Amino acid sequence: MLEIRNLDVSYGYAKVLHDVSLNIKTGEMVFLIGRNGAGKTTLLKTIIGLLQPQKGSIVYAGKEISNLSPERLYLQGFRYVGQEKKVFGNLTVQENIEIAAFASGEPMDVSLKKITSIYPKIKDFLKTKAGQLSGGQRQILLVGRALVGEPKLLLIDEPTQGLAAIVIEEIIHILDSLKKQVSALIVEQNLSLVKQLSDRIFLLKEGKMVREIISKSEESGIQDLEGYL
Amino acid sequence: MGQDKLFPAQNAELPGAFENITLKENHAVEILAIAVFFLLVTPLLSVHRVTDFMIFCIFAMSFDMLYGYMGRLSFGQMLYLGTGAYGCGLFIKYINGNPLLAIFAGVAFAGLLAMLLGLIIVRTTGACFALINLAFNHIGFFLVLSPLRSITRGEDGFGVSASQIGSLNFGSRPIMYGAVFLSLLLVFYFLRRLTSAPYGIMIRSIKEDETRVRFLGYNTFLYKWLTFALAGTIAGLAGALTALNYNYVNPNAMDVHSNVGVVFACLIGGAGNLYGAILGGVIYMLISNFLAIYIYRWEMFLGFSLLIIVFRFRMGVWGYIQRFWVHKLIPRFTKKEAI
Amino acid sequence: MHYTIFYGLTIGAILYFISIGLSLTFGTMRVINFAHTITYTIGVYILITFVIFFKWSFPVGAVLAILAIIPIAYVIERFIIRRLYGDSLDYTFIATFAVALIGVDLIKWIWGPAPYPLSDPIGKYLILFDVSLPIYRVLMVISAILLFILLHLFFKMTIVGKIIIAALDDKDGVRCLGINVDKYFSLVFVMGSALAVLGGIFYAPISSIHPYMGLAILLLCFAVVIVGGMGNLKGTFLSAFALGMLMALTARYWPQGAETMVFIAMAVVLIFRPIDI
Repeated sequence: MLEIRNLDVSYGYAKVLHDVSLNIKTGEMVFLIGRNGAGKTTLLKTIIGLLQPQKGSIVYAGKEISNLSPERLYLQGFRYVGQEKKVFGNLTVQENIEIAAFASGEPMDVSLKKITSIYPKIKDFLKTKAGQLSGGQRQILLVGRALVGEPKLLLIDEPTQGLAAIVIEEIIHILDSLKKQVSALIVEQNLSLVKQLSDRIFLLKEGKMVREIISKSEESGIQDLEGYL
Repeated sequence: MGQDKLFPAQNAELPGAFENITLKENHAVEILAIAVFFLLVTPLLSVHRVTDFMIFCIFAMSFDMLYGYMGRLSFGQMLYLGTGAYGCGLFIKYINGNPLLAIFAGVAFAGLLAMLLGLIIVRTTGACFALINLAFNHIGFFLVLSPLRSITRGEDGFGVSASQIGSLNFGSRPIMYGAVFLSLLLVFYFLRRLTSAPYGIMIRSIKEDETRVRFLGYNTFLYKWLTFALAGTIAGLAGALTALNYNYVNPNAMDVHSNVGVVFACLIGGAGNLYGAILGGVIYMLISNFLAIYIYRWEMFLGFSLLIIVFRFRMGVWGYIQRFWVHKLIPRFTKKEAI
Repeated sequence: MHYTIFYGLTIGAILYFISIGLSLTFGTMRVINFAHTITYTIGVYILITFVIFFKWSFPVGAVLAILAIIPIAYVIERFIIRRLYGDSLDYTFIATFAVALIGVDLIKWIWGPAPYPLSDPIGKYLILFDVSLPIYRVLMVISAILLFILLHLFFKMTIVGKIIIAALDDKDGVRCLGINVDKYFSLVFVMGSALAVLGGIFYAPISSIHPYMGLAILLLCFAVVIVGGMGNLKGTFLSAFALGMLMALTARYWPQGAETMVFIAMAVVLIFRPIDI
């Protein structure tokens, strides 16, 4: 469904991505791994339209989308969850969800139902200011927010970074329940999570795509990934 | 992380660093070119006007250090010009008539003020920096106008008549011209050396990406503060010369609304280049001296010109000269200019 | 002393009206809008056109002035500020400054450079605790407090308000939720300008009206925004009144130092809380 070809992206004066190609098929959960500074976040930001590529194309459902804004891509079903776990801290959890539901025009109770189905405990926090949530709760709220409307492709940047093991379990559980419902491109450093959930893995190194691994067939391939991180 | 590296060890790491720059440049040729330029225009314009032009060019260079080189737009540089003028004038009026000492006093005054305020001001960037400078300028203007009126004579200002030392009489036009001419060349030489030294690379790097420079372990605060103080000092020199040139100081020397002149000059000349500053200074002075009589709505003219510059003409005149003329004619020259 | 406190409140009220727009554009668009001075001044001049030249009643003139400023503010946002998004902030500042210059000259062209007097439209006094207070100023303070409550409700209750609050936190986050923030920023900008005009209308009868009247007040409001925190609505409210009080108290003992004191307060805040805009 998403096809990226020969993408070059510069950030200010420095070129970050060199000739990157990648594809995601419908319903697939694809992981992107690589060291810090390899350009993973840049790639996600470029897909969602926050950065403009210098060269190359991004094709979604047969259409070129590399020049579309994040607002337009949202309506096409793209959902982006950034690395910084930024929620709207001065608004309550419920208001956060309300804003997510605004553009898609989905009724609030439908959105809430979707989110409670992946994380029932959210009901207790609806009136809490999102800024007061713990890191794990924020992450779950962000993923939940991304499910509002009709998501087709989730782009999630480091969903488990900096979280406690028990919360990571929760997130793995949530992501697992989403498998097959939506396609996803997830940046992740936690290899055990990657092994558990991935359909395919792409490896970025210094802004270049160096390997593609199809997880099921290449069990051993995953083992030596450690060396790259 | 160590915050005390003063000089860049590996320039290449810095965001503003360009390929190897030649430190040994032929400044003599450049200074000669500027000297010849001003000497040539003198008969065309008049000694008095050119003296005025050159003072403004010194001021424009001080502004360009902050804006063009370090990327900090100040809308309050007139404060230091005014402080220099008042420092010089008050020194002559109350302490000693010696013009050289008075110039020194004006420069020192402005420099000290810039050092002091710089401690606060350089903590900000962008539009905040511009406005906070404007705010301090506003206070300065207000102070000389009203609370300090017993010494500054408020709105009326006061006359400045320097005494004669030997044959050095600053009341005479040619001598004033010579003094300003020498100051301009000295300031140009000094800034030229400074901006092509590692220090210059540092402040340009701060303009490009301050966070990165800081993460490389350099004390950016110190550099910003030094540049701010330096710019204030040079503006003070321009102010002291203004006071001597007009034999008169009044609050107009510190007028908040005059700041737009130097901003305009630097932008139209081409920011980030001393030639641009000088050229812009001359262009602005030519417009305000000769065209202003025909331009009935002066502020509107400035406003629209600034909008055009911002939307269409960011390189400035010198930027165009560099791109279309120098590049083709003197390739050796451009290599240095590209720094 | 009662007077001092009361005058502090009036100054605070005016500062609050004018600072909101500055603070909101600061917080959402990361832009210092110098043209704020000119929308404010033009608003006041439109008011006096109706009140002095047409002899219409003050409230009618006030409403017309606010309505007239809406399209002007929209044009400035749409054609100057939005075109410079993502560009260096300096250029936005210079461009808005240029707009202010043009506006000042336009005012001089149309209305002339001489100041206009405008008298207190109510002129009655309220006797309270043995002091007589001009009703006009009392109204001013009440309106400021009402406005604070209204704005609070707007940002708390309406989805538009919530989107703006969210955009203050994380503009890109809002964009990634499919919401075109530019539209809301336009709204914030126009709203801020209209409120500044409201402040100007309140201020006009107790100050002199001249083409450059916007500059001094803009600098004071800039100090309010720095002290209160950019884009912080409650902070802006508190700091406007705190600085208004500071000005009134300073003026009591050292009339010439009132404005200077505000900037000293700003400098102190900057030393302890540097900002990155």
